[in-house]
Amino acid sequence: MTEWTILWEARALFLDGLLATLGLFALSIICAFVLGCAWVFLLEERNRLSIVVRGWINLMRTLPFLILAYLLYYGLPELGLRMSAWTAGLLALVIYHAAYFAEILRGSRLVLPEGYIEAAKAHGFTPLRLYLRITLPQLLIKTRPLLGNQLIIALKDTAFLTIITVQELTAAANSVQSTYFIPTQAFVVVIVMYWLISICLELALKRAGRFGARRGFDHV
Amino acid sequence: MNTQAWLLLLEGAWTTLWLCGIAIGIGVVLGLVIALIRLAKVPFVEQLLVLYISLARATPLVTLVLFLFLSAPVFGINMNRNTAAIVAMTLNTAAFNAEIWRAAFLSFSRDQREAALACGMTGGVFFRRIMLPQMITTSLPGLVNEMSFLIKGSPAVAVIGIVDLTRVTNRISAVTYDPLPPILAAAVLYMLIIGVLLKLQGLAERKANRLAM
Amino acid sequence: MSEPSIAIPAVSIRKLSKSFDGVEVLRDIDLVVNKGEVVSVLGSSGSGKSTMLRCINWLEEPDRGSIHIAGQRIGINEQTRRKMTSKELATLRARTGMVFQGFNLWPHLSVIQNVMESPIYVKRMPKDQARAIAVELLEKVGLADKHEAYPFTLSGGQKQRVAIARALAMSPEVILFDEPTSALDPERVGEVLQVMKNLSSEGYTMIVVTHEMEFARAVSDQVVFLDKGRIIEKAPPLKFFSNPDTERVRKFLEITA
Repeated sequence: MTEWTILWEARALFLDGLLATLGLFALSIICAFVLGCAWVFLLEERNRLSIVVRGWINLMRTLPFLILAYLLYYGLPELGLRMSAWTAGLLALVIYHAAYFAEILRGSRLVLPEGYIEAAKAHGFTPLRLYLRITLPQLLIKTRPLLGNQLIIALKDTAFLTIITVQELTAAANSVQSTYFIPTQAFVVVIVMYWLISICLELALKRAGRFGARRGFDHV
Repeated sequence: MNTQAWLLLLEGAWTTLWLCGIAIGIGVVLGLVIALIRLAKVPFVEQLLVLYISLARATPLVTLVLFLFLSAPVFGINMNRNTAAIVAMTLNTAAFNAEIWRAAFLSFSRDQREAALACGMTGGVFFRRIMLPQMITTSLPGLVNEMSFLIKGSPAVAVIGIVDLTRVTNRISAVTYDPLPPILAAAVLYMLIIGVLLKLQGLAERKANRLAM
Repeated sequence: MSEPSIAIPAVSIRKLSKSFDGVEVLRDIDLVVNKGEVVSVLGSSGSGKSTMLRCINWLEEPDRGSIHIAGQRIGINEQTRRKMTSKELATLRARTGMVFQGFNLWPHLSVIQNVMESPIYVKRMPKDQARAIAVELLEKVGLADKHEAYPFTLSGGQKQRVAIARALAMSPEVILFDEPTSALDPERVGEVLQVMKNLSSEGYTMIVVTHEMEFARAVSDQVVFLDKGRIIEKAPPLKFFSNPDTERVRKFLEITA
C-alpha cells in the first residue's frame, strides 16, 4: 500500500477532524462577533461599565489564547466548574476573539465622524437603535479587512485546542501519523486543508467588500 | 505557590523568551530579505515566495511545529525539539514580516528616489542611507505587533513537549494538584512581557507618525 | 412668510447660558418662536449662534436656563426634576428636525433609505407608509430621480436637499438649520435656499442660523442677532435691515453689504 492509499483509508479521521475544526470555528466566530459588537455598544456610554469593558479587552490582548483555554479547562475545575475540552475550547475561542473583534471595531469607532451620530440623535434615535442602524453598519464596512484577518487568526487558534485534547484537524493529523507512520503526508493534507479554508474565507470577504464599495466606502 | 513553583515558572518564561527571541531575530531579517527579493520580481522565485507566504500565514503554528518535528526524521534530518520550535516559529513570523516590510516598501514615495538620483546618488547609496532607515521606522510598529503575536502563539511549542511558560503549569500542577495558581501566575508573566511589547509598539507608532508617510 | 398663531410656542428659550472651558459662550438668551414662524439667527463667528441652536435639541447641554419644545421641557424631566434619560431625550428629539452644515447623510444608506430611516426606526412606521412619505418629500425637494443613489454620488446641494427631506419625514414641530448653505459652492446655494423658502410658505416652523442676508430678509418673520453670546437685537426683517436699533448691528450690515 502506498502512503497516499493509506491516507485515503484514513479519510474518516481527517473528515471528523475537519468537521470538528469547522464546527468550532463557525460557532465560535458567530458568538464572538455578536459579543464583540455588544462590547463596543457598552463602550458608547462613558460610565463605569465601559471602563471595565475596556480593561477586559486590553487584558485579552496581552494573553496568549492557550492560557485562556488552559484557564477554562484545567483551572476552572478547581473552582467546581468542570467542562468538556470541546466546551472549554469553544468558550475560550468566543471570549478571546470577541475582545479582538471589539478592539477592531473600537478603533474604527474612534475615527467615525460624529456628524452621522448627531444627525441620528437629532432625529430621535434611541442609543440602541442608533448603534444597530447607523453606527455598527459603518464600522463593519470600514473594518472588513481587519475583521477578515481576525477570522483567519480564529481559524488557526482552533489548532491550539489539540493541546487540551480536543479532536480537531491537527489532532487528526497527529492521530493518522502515529497510527500509520506517515507524518509528512498526513500533515501536508491537513496544512492544505487549512490553506483551502482560508482561501475560501478570503474570497468570501472580497465579495463582502462589494457592499461597501457600492456605497462609496474607499479602501474596503 | 511556593518558591520551587515560581522557579519552574521563571524557567518556563526563560524558555519562551529565548526560543521566541531567536525566531524573532532571524524572522525580522528573513522577512526583509524576502520582501527585497520580491521587489526584484524574479519570475519563478516570485511565485514560490508568494506560495510560501500564503501557506505560512494560513498554517497554524501548532500544526507547523508538529509537522516539522515529526517529518524531519523521515528526510534524515535530526531535529531536536528546540530546533523544530525555532524553525517553525521563524518560518511563520518571517512570512508575516515579509508582508509588513513589503507594505512599507510599496508605500514609499517615488519622489524621494527621483530626488536622490537627480543629485547623483547611486541606487545602492540611496537605499542604504535614505530608504532603509525610513522603512525601518515605518515598519517598526507592525513588526513589534507581530512580535507580540509570536509570543502569544509560542505556547504552540508545548505540543512537542517543550516546557515553555504555558506547559510548565502542567508540570507544577502535576505535583501540587493545584492548577489554578500557576496558570494565573503564568498569565501575569505573559501580561508583563506582552505589555512591555505593546508599550514599545506605541512608542514605535509615535515615531513612525512623525515620519508621516 | 406666514401668520404666526398664538398658542403654545414651538420653541421657548429662557435665560439660556453656557460656558465652554470657562469661556462664556451664551449669556441669558431669551427667545420665543411661535408655530409657523421663521426665525433667522445672524451674528459673526464665535457669537454663539450654532451653540444656541444645538442647545435647543440638547446636542449641547446648557449650564443654566430652560428650553421648551411645544410646551415640553427638554433636557430635564419636569416630573422627576432629574436629567432626561437617553430614551426621554430621543422621544422629544423625534419631534424636531435638524439640517447640518455638513449634511451628515448616512453613507451606507441610499437617498430614499436615508429619508425613510427615522420614520421606520424611531416612529415604528410601516415600511410602505414611510416609503410613500419619502417619495413625496423627495419630489418636493426636487430629487425624485435619485431614490436609489448613494450619498457619495451627490453634489453638496443635492445632499442638503435630501437632508431637508429627511428632517421633514418626521413631521417635526420645528426644523433647526445650522448654517445649511455655508459648506456649499455658490452655485448650489440657490437650490437649497429655494427649498427652504418653499417650506416657509408652507407654514413650517424654522430656526435658521445663516449668513445668507437675502434669505433672512425675504423669508423671516423675526431676525435675531447674537454678539458675544447675547441677543442684542430682535426685530422683524424690515426693521432689522433698514433701521436697526443697535450700533453693532449697523456695523455688521455695513460690512456684509
